[in-house]
Amino acid sequence: MSDSRMSRALPVVATLALFAVFALVALDTSFGAPSGFPADASVTESIGYLMFGLEGSAIPGANFLAAFEIIDLVLVAALVGSVLLARREDDRADPLKGGEE
Amino acid sequence: MAVESQYYLLLSAAVFCVGLFGVLSRRNALIFLMSVELMLNAANINFVAFSYQYGNLTGQTFSLFVMALAAAEVAVGIGIILVLYRNFKDIDVTKATTMRW
Repeated sequence: MSDSRMSRALPVVATLALFAVFALVALDTSFGAPSGFPADASVTESIGYLMFGLEGSAIPGANFLAAFEIIDLVLVAALVGSVLLARREDDRADPLKGGEE
Repeated sequence: MAVESQYYLLLSAAVFCVGLFGVLSRRNALIFLMSVELMLNAANINFVAFSYQYGNLTGQTFSLFVMALAAAEVAVGIGIILVLYRNFKDIDVTKATTMRW
């Protein structure tokens, strides 16, 4: 009984302790006024330039072309992997014709 | 009047701790997926907040890639949960203690 109560209380205590540490650190830090983005620059347009690694972004940022290509591979791999996992092993029939369900 | 960055940090810490509590206290695998999603989105809040703080779009663009990675993770996760249910007739993560067929 007390063992199950312990195992219930432990996540609460651990999470609250972690939040207390985070909150103490965050509220103890001062970042100054945010510099923000220029009012005449379009954030969405600049994200488009940065994502494809093009010149001409109104707001500075890193070049994400390589990350874009890598995330493409990751998404295709996840799609193929999830289809592979979700397929029934005993389903040898044509998937387009439907299974027994 | 812009919100100061440490309050974004506080919000992000709160969302992350909610996700961590979900992972630690629940047994349903689907709630695990939701909680991991919360933790990833807590990281996204920080990315966007500091993107605004420093007037640099790297953080906002990177948070888009984090979202794509989260989508890939959910696709594979749901596939795994499907197989889990097929093999154990349950999605309690503490029941599936073997990796046999």
